[in-house]
Amino acid sequence: MTKKLILALAAVLAAMSLFAQEGPTGDPTGGVKGTVVDRNGRRPVENARLILLQGAKEITTVNSAEDGTFFIPGLKNGMYTLRIMAPDYLETQVQVTVNNGYVKNMFNLSLSSAQRLDDVDDDNFSLFDLENSGYSDNPTILFGSNDVFDNITGFNFSAVRFRARGYSSESQDIYLAGVRLNDAITGYTPYSLWSGLNEAMRDKETVPGADMSRYGLGAYNGITNIFGTASHVRKGLRTGILTNSALYRLRVSASYSTGMMDNGWAFAANVSARLGGNHWIDGIYYRSFAYYFAADKKLNNEHLLSLVFFGAPGERGVQNSSTQEVYDLVGNNMYNSNWGYQGGKVRNARVRKTHEPVAILKHDWTPSDRFEMSTTILARFGNNGYTALDWYDAQDPRPDYYRNLPSYFWDSNPDMNRNNMVKYAWATEVWSHSKDYPSITQVDWDHLYNVNYLQEDGRSKYIQENRHTDQRDLNLAMNFRTRPLDFLSVNAGLFARLNYTHYYKTVEDLLGGQFFVNVDNFAERDFGAQEWRLQNDLDYYLENKKAEAVGEGGKYGYDYAAQTRNVGGWFDSQVTFGNFSATLGARFSYDTYWRVGYNRKGLFPGLQENGEPFKDLEGNEIPVTYEPDGTVTTSKGKSTYKHFYTWSVKAGASYVFGGNMRVSGHVGYYTDAPRFNQVFLSPRTRNSIVGNVTPQKTFSSDINWQYNGNGINARVTAYYTTIKDQCKVMSAFDDLQNTFSNFAITGIDQRHMGIELGFKVPTYFVPNLSVQGALSLGEYVYTSVPLLTQTVDNSADVILRDEPISYWKETINADGSSTKHYVPSTPQTAMSLGLSYNYNYWYFDFDVEFFDRAYLDMSPIYRTDYAVAGHDYNITPEEVEYMTSQERFKPAFLMNASVGKSWYIKRKYQLGFSLSAKNLLNNKNVKTGGYEQTRFVDNTVAKDRYYRFPSKYFYMAGFNYMINVYFRF
Amino acid sequence: MKKFVFTLFALSTLISCEAFKDEFGKLQDEWSPVWNPVPADPEAEHLWTETELSEEKGLQEITTIADLKRMYKNVPTEILENVWIKGQVISDDRTGNVYREMYIQDETGGIDLKIGRSSLYSDYRLGQWIYVYCNGLTVGAYSGMPQLGLEADKTSTNEYETSYIDLIPFIKEHIFKGKFDAPVRPRQISEDELKASLSAGFNGELWGQYVTLPGLTYGNQVFCLLYPNSNLPHSSAEPWNRIFLSDQTWGIDTWACSKPGFLQYLESGAWDQAEVGSGASRYGAGSILKTPKELGVGDNFSSTEAAMSYKDIMKQHATASHVSHYFKFGGTDVQVRTSGYAKFADEKISETVPSSGTVSITGIITTYNGAAQLTLIDVPANCVKK
Repeated sequence: MTKKLILALAAVLAAMSLFAQEGPTGDPTGGVKGTVVDRNGRRPVENARLILLQGAKEITTVNSAEDGTFFIPGLKNGMYTLRIMAPDYLETQVQVTVNNGYVKNMFNLSLSSAQRLDDVDDDNFSLFDLENSGYSDNPTILFGSNDVFDNITGFNFSAVRFRARGYSSESQDIYLAGVRLNDAITGYTPYSLWSGLNEAMRDKETVPGADMSRYGLGAYNGITNIFGTASHVRKGLRTGILTNSALYRLRVSASYSTGMMDNGWAFAANVSARLGGNHWIDGIYYRSFAYYFAADKKLNNEHLLSLVFFGAPGERGVQNSSTQEVYDLVGNNMYNSNWGYQGGKVRNARVRKTHEPVAILKHDWTPSDRFEMSTTILARFGNNGYTALDWYDAQDPRPDYYRNLPSYFWDSNPDMNRNNMVKYAWATEVWSHSKDYPSITQVDWDHLYNVNYLQEDGRSKYIQENRHTDQRDLNLAMNFRTRPLDFLSVNAGLFARLNYTHYYKTVEDLLGGQFFVNVDNFAERDFGAQEWRLQNDLDYYLENKKAEAVGEGGKYGYDYAAQTRNVGGWFDSQVTFGNFSATLGARFSYDTYWRVGYNRKGLFPGLQENGEPFKDLEGNEIPVTYEPDGTVTTSKGKSTYKHFYTWSVKAGASYVFGGNMRVSGHVGYYTDAPRFNQVFLSPRTRNSIVGNVTPQKTFSSDINWQYNGNGINARVTAYYTTIKDQCKVMSAFDDLQNTFSNFAITGIDQRHMGIELGFKVPTYFVPNLSVQGALSLGEYVYTSVPLLTQTVDNSADVILRDEPISYWKETINADGSSTKHYVPSTPQTAMSLGLSYNYNYWYFDFDVEFFDRAYLDMSPIYRTDYAVAGHDYNITPEEVEYMTSQERFKPAFLMNASVGKSWYIKRKYQLGFSLSAKNLLNNKNVKTGGYEQTRFVDNTVAKDRYYRFPSKYFYMAGFNYMINVYFRF
Repeated sequence: MKKFVFTLFALSTLISCEAFKDEFGKLQDEWSPVWNPVPADPEAEHLWTETELSEEKGLQEITTIADLKRMYKNVPTEILENVWIKGQVISDDRTGNVYREMYIQDETGGIDLKIGRSSLYSDYRLGQWIYVYCNGLTVGAYSGMPQLGLEADKTSTNEYETSYIDLIPFIKEHIFKGKFDAPVRPRQISEDELKASLSAGFNGELWGQYVTLPGLTYGNQVFCLLYPNSNLPHSSAEPWNRIFLSDQTWGIDTWACSKPGFLQYLESGAWDQAEVGSGASRYGAGSILKTPKELGVGDNFSSTEAAMSYKDIMKQHATASHVSHYFKFGGTDVQVRTSGYAKFADEKISETVPSSGTVSITGIITTYNGAAQLTLIDVPANCVKK
């Protein structure tokens, strides 16, 4: 059967290739020329990319000149398709026939503009402060103004943190100048590196889903390559001023580019500043800047050298989540507990401070039409810090700490043992008039300082710490593109990455004290009588016979590095026969990780160099513990190496109907190495490795129908993806162990399937008015029973070993039915329908959106029998339903509108504005994320069960607007 | 440049129409971290004087602590008048031996002020004057010891007559910090004085005072109550989850047991003859080595634990434990009670207390069910003198 099928397929392919060869021939004196213009104002569009195809075969690619003109000479007679793409415009295609050896003049080729408000970048997402919850947050940013679905969803859906097809941001490949730049440790997309440099990073090439890209094999969640070099920055001076009531009050930016000059040089620069707070969330602020400088030098027709240097120094105050109890009491779902008054001035405790410059050297070599090659060296360095309050033997300074809230004093359930109505009433009074009691409902900085002032020895009880994650990231990427045969093109590449990420804490601010002592408070609770055990730096303690006193800027707490190395290669080949094309690609990759500890913790000292145990100040041996493989558990020095070999394959096929319509499908199987932060159990304290991590395995398939042309853009995709053997490590406080705990979860499987639809269609009855819409309907579910291993920071004891997380994929309800558990933090139903009007440099957009089936992130421990059983080890159906069910967010209905206009002055200067109003209905009840606290109420009256802690949430801003005024020439 | 920035700032503010409506304060709050993310160090907290409290908080006269205690009517008594007391801080929770309470003392006596927060030494300094506005607070007794707190939780099983003053608004309303002063010097007391207080019961003059007891001899006897699985119920109604170590030292030669200390004692075999049970339900010497199943109380435990010996269950749920050491003060017993969370819990008693001869010990004296207890508020080296 299979053989027959292959034979049949081969016959079809052969016939097609014959057809291709027998196609119209003639002298290659023909050509195509024309001007790319804006449909709206008929202004020329410079630097549009025009790809000429014959059937599915790519013939050549050119860019439009400054005046929008292009010329493709040397064509044989025949039918061609011209695909036109430009930043800020939707992709379009036109049919061209070259005959009699003439150059066909297409005159004006118009592009309809994409949502042009502003690029979505890192700044469009408020930073979610997940504290020590163990969860992580990284929104997915969709861009690619060329694809109609991504274009609509990218800007509008970002408000609800929509993730295309439910995929995590790690699966989205982001390239800069040909180098894959997803974070080496977490896999997250690294947008924050270039926040504010929208102009310099505007020119990019994005492919959705599993489509083939020329920069890497990619996977199933799209590839974006940002060009980033000088000649890709739009020519001329561009300045803009912007205010956004949901983000920051003021952004000013300017960019200038010379374009490629006759002398072969191109220079570009971009600077910007983002300042201020916003209307919705108190205490957050931006104080961010960005710079970008680049030069290109065309050595000759074959060689181009590019040099780029950019960075985005700045700081951002961060928003925290709270429980619904707090939001309801305060009367504001956007209450932020991170800030408070210090001497009457606002101060935020959680500030992200970063400056991570990136330097790029790129060489492009184009020796012939059939071969091109680029080599990029990219280095990332600098520092990335996140401040937080830290304290030693002092009361929890967080205003919304659960013991400060009414619910801690009274609960209607008598088993909770909360019975003090008077305190309940008082706490309610205070929190419901939160503005009158800022010293209670916000961080009381004056109190923190006063506690420190009170200490006669100068020892700070409260400090502000800075958690550093400083990367030294060096990348080499070589990408080739060749067309060895007429019907075959091959993209291929090699990559190598060396990443050193240094994690450590420093004392940012002693808050009025003189020093902080470098000991571990959590260890002190259990081992207060054994001073050596509390030491974060045992070597210092043994040498100096006392714990280290640290001043401002000094390191304390943890200090270790993640070392990762990654090398590999990939190829992606395409064969084209007439309108049919097929792709096949593969990638091989080798990863190795190890941890290097720079301090010796008293809890995990390891052995001395001579193999002897350490001795405490009294001369007693300090005990050591051992790993399952027999090695000594240690905090200092090199860990063992973890090696992973992974491979991926991907194949696709497409057929083009009549030039404008394309049907395609992809299928791929990918293995991905677990990342550093999934391999080490508790890297802050020791070298221990999670036992049974294996590469993650993904199978993904999709079918797409696309139409681009005649002003119509549409795409429909159906997809089916399974992701298996994912692992995760999270650290959080555990009330049952009364200490900081590490949860290593292995064997998480999930399945994503659904459909995606995007369209923009002109309404023929009203000129210049289009209807546009997007629909994403998916089901992203968990499909396995993962295993949980729990350890604590305080000892090498394993609390739970490979405990099945029995209720991870579903809850068994009390009535015996079951409810599936879903991949959280994105709506699984999302739709948008809108109108778009463009005329004479005016545009109006209006759309309504609906989101549903978004779910809350789940705590793994709540889904175990261990948690359900409680102290009495007795499992009842009611307890199962209570403890294991997953929260589904309420659906949300939103309405947005925008308007814009630009004027040309003396045909040289352009002045324009855009105004975008979002959430016109002022819906303030849309949850966009959150998490379950991994904590229990266990001191009940009956002592036969546990209760959950309430979950924490983030909400979307209510009505907000953005005004952008720009001036360009 | 500044002008330019200011103009931009003004412009952006102007175009945001809500900002128009919002008062200047909100705008200032929003922009101040941009210009000045770390404001100047705040001033030191204001310390109240009696005059200021009279003018601003309605203080009329100071009641003595002894008089306050006399308001106790043998049931929890809520003060509903404008009563103020003042006293100097005499307790210090730095070593971890005092937890969620603070003792203050005036010339008439001391009292246990139930400020239910940890690390109170971060907020109050030894010797500092404290004013307490008692209106709304409750005077109660815990096993005979006077305490000042809030009205008790309405729990059926509650053995306390007061609850913690742990909510910050309550603390701010009731407790006012006054000037710093030299720490109170301990009062040296005689056995007769102690006896007088013991017979006076609740109104005993000494309770809650900072004292030195001279001429103590070590009694070679401890008292220690352990809960094999502290996660399970362990009140006197659940004797199957209680073990008393008493009448001898049980090998305990440290002031208390930290978690590692507890494990060491348990594993050494020193407690192998201990008896499970309390009151009338006792399971016999050495029953600690038996399983709950063998003692016929297996139903109270999980099936796994029911088949484990009590000793193994205790290993699993090891936790720091209080220990009371008996000392003889003439003919009167005094228990020196130390928390397992005290930093000196694992310090050997013999380091400061000789096996023969006498010592004087300084601490806060309290009463518990008719007995006298002493709590060290500093490391033994500073409180125990030969």
